[in-house]
Amino acid sequence: MSQTVLIVDDSVTMRDMVAFTLTGAGFQVVQAGDGKEAMGKLATGAKPDLVVTDLNMPVMDGITLIKAIRKMPPLRFTPILMLTTESSEEKKAEGRAVGATGWIVKPFSPEQFLKVLKKVLPA
Amino acid sequence: MSDEFAQFNAAFFEESAEHVSAIEKGLLELEQRPSDLELLNTIFRSAHSIKGVAGMLGFAAVAQFTHKMETLLDQLRNGRITVTPPLTDVLLRATDYLKTLLDAAQSERSSDEAIAHGLEAQLEAFAMGSPLVVADVSSPLLPSPLERGPVLICAEGGQGDRALPPRRCFDISWTPPSFLFQRGLDPQKIFTDLGDLGIVTDVRMDRSRLPDLVSMDPEQCYLAWTVRLETDQAINEIESVFEFVRDDSVLTIEECAPSCESRLDAPHAPKRIGEILVESGAVTQDALNLALAQQKQIGEILIAQQVVTPTQLAQALETQRQTAPVAQTKKADPATIRVDTAKIDKLINLVGELVITQSMLSDLGARFDMTQLALLLERMTQLEHNTRELQEQVMGIRMLPIGTVFSRFPRLVRDLAGKNGKKMQLVISGEETELDKTVIESIGDPLTHLIRNSADHGLESPEERLAAGKPEQGAIRLTAFHEGGSICIAIEDDGRGLPREKILAKAVKQGLLREDENVSDDHVWALVFQPGFSTADKVTDVSGRGVGMDVVKRNIEALGGTVAIQTTAGKGTRFVLTLPLTLAIIDGLSVTVGGEIFIVPLTTINKSVQPTASELKTIVGKGELVRDRDEYLPIVRLSEVFGVGAAITDPTKAILMILESQEERVAVMVDAIIGQQQVVIKSLEQNFRKVDGVAGATILGDGTVAFILDVRGLLQVALRGDAVGA
Repeated sequence: MSQTVLIVDDSVTMRDMVAFTLTGAGFQVVQAGDGKEAMGKLATGAKPDLVVTDLNMPVMDGITLIKAIRKMPPLRFTPILMLTTESSEEKKAEGRAVGATGWIVKPFSPEQFLKVLKKVLPA
Repeated sequence: MSDEFAQFNAAFFEESAEHVSAIEKGLLELEQRPSDLELLNTIFRSAHSIKGVAGMLGFAAVAQFTHKMETLLDQLRNGRITVTPPLTDVLLRATDYLKTLLDAAQSERSSDEAIAHGLEAQLEAFAMGSPLVVADVSSPLLPSPLERGPVLICAEGGQGDRALPPRRCFDISWTPPSFLFQRGLDPQKIFTDLGDLGIVTDVRMDRSRLPDLVSMDPEQCYLAWTVRLETDQAINEIESVFEFVRDDSVLTIEECAPSCESRLDAPHAPKRIGEILVESGAVTQDALNLALAQQKQIGEILIAQQVVTPTQLAQALETQRQTAPVAQTKKADPATIRVDTAKIDKLINLVGELVITQSMLSDLGARFDMTQLALLLERMTQLEHNTRELQEQVMGIRMLPIGTVFSRFPRLVRDLAGKNGKKMQLVISGEETELDKTVIESIGDPLTHLIRNSADHGLESPEERLAAGKPEQGAIRLTAFHEGGSICIAIEDDGRGLPREKILAKAVKQGLLREDENVSDDHVWALVFQPGFSTADKVTDVSGRGVGMDVVKRNIEALGGTVAIQTTAGKGTRFVLTLPLTLAIIDGLSVTVGGEIFIVPLTTINKSVQPTASELKTIVGKGELVRDRDEYLPIVRLSEVFGVGAAITDPTKAILMILESQEERVAVMVDAIIGQQQVVIKSLEQNFRKVDGVAGATILGDGTVAFILDVRGLLQVALRGDAVGA
């Protein structure tokens, strides 16, 4: 069975691009426009193998989302990748502190994205 | 960045346009509420989104410029600098330029870099050193990956074409943090990735930190490893395996075998000087990057030395752009429209119903006899109902809220207030009113003009207003609402009102009126729509050139709308634009003349009469007239205008339809009225040619073509006097 990735970003274009890359690589994709929407999808049974989230989003930002996900028992060890624009140490540290697995710095190419994915996805 | 993503360009441009207007709107609001952090966050997010996606799609100029805006916004957000009018100005101008950049990216043109550099410099200046800033601002101006572009390129130039480096050996010692698993990390992945780089020749596990079973937490990581790896990859490849854990881990990577760095001779291209210096250890890569970041373009240097002026440079850049060999602009602009999914669901629902009705009808048709006539009629009614509803919904897809047009005006009013030194606010209401997309697209310019007009002519200076007992700040109200089958847009100011005497004097001077002529107020106000008419004492940047009001009127009329003026001296002026909901379908009354059918737009019909002989009059030079109350109206015989034979020639036996357009009326003579129906307008000009007195054509139920009358055109025919019965 193919693996499922939850992609959370407020930019539809960004979500579409990531989803396009992922479906092309054989993943199932679930999308959400902000942290709250993502939590809604997780609460109603979505069980992703990986979460990819933007940090800067309306309603509920990425850091809050990561914290919330780590509190859900089935998702405690699920890899979470954050999308950041700067390779800002501050943001990375903040993400690490709340339980983010890794990060991808925008802009990235589909190949780069899949490479990072492979790094954290359970085999 | 990647051609694979090119298919997302259209979506990106649409999304960016929304973000740009959100930024603009946000900046204007921010001036009113400078400490609203949520508002700042919204603006920041929009800029951030554009930057992120632009970078992904390879629009480097956009990404880079937005980065500069974002930096300044971030400083605002952190409270390091505060909102001031000059700062808002710069940000607004930057937003304008961002729009230009996006347009340029969309049409694959290059943009004017001189402007970009100027604006970027200003953005940076504001981000670093407004007087309110504390001195020790740690510079947040980390060069983004894009700005480091040239450095990356020269690094590639240095390493290309090199033969495979020899195999090297590394000892890697790694002590992960105890909370490794809580971050969703798996040590096994690390070993797999290391294995992909080369051959892992030795792995040792350090269990010294492992507690006894009772106190052990199975969700903690107590282990550490030492790995020996033989690889032909560079050390940074190994480091990248640990990318996500190294900051929380104790990690050492040491080359264990003596380096066999017998480097081959330099590749074909000579090395760049920076690269050589870095290699020799004279400078660090960071220092080099910093130096490269300071490299200026030749134009900037020349301006700084005052050898050329910015204008000269801009011209030169323009010439360069025009003469560039591949300077063709490719504008692939697929006209797209965003539709609420609820609307689409409704449509699908309706189509479903239509299919059901259709299948019921064909079922009925298969075994039809006359006893089922009532049932047939019932089904037909249902079909008609379905069709009409479907039509309405489909038309609804083209309907957009007028707010999309209104949203640009707060900025306009702010700029105008700055330019002419008046105080004014714009009050908008009814922005959710929906209007056909075509109308929306054509309404922007006329509205802009009317608002400029109110700001410049209508509203008084603060002193004048205070003297007149009014609040210092003037108000311009922009309102949209439904009225009957039309949309009304009102532009209203509380200024001085139209100057009747001034307009009259000007009209006399231009020979539009005689000095002693007694004219009604409405007639006077209508004069401002005359071409070349302006009463502004001096021509300003804002208005007063006398071009515009006539264009406004023409544009509105081209959309099938009207403009009305109400004004009271000292109290203000109100322009009301009345526009049809849609341009594609109208309600019409079908009438016959001879054997032909014509459609009269319902909105133009005042009434229909059968005149008595005493109401008719013929005046030399003015032709045939009919009296309606105390007014005589010209009669237009359709049979003569369109050369239709066998029509009724005696007006007392025919029907006169009194049609009205912009307060002028005409009596159109027809044989009989058939009934009311909705007709789809087909352009005559596109399919045939323009015909005076005809707005378009439509196809009737029986397949024949009928003309739709154009009342304005018929009025002109009547005034010219040809085809008027005499």
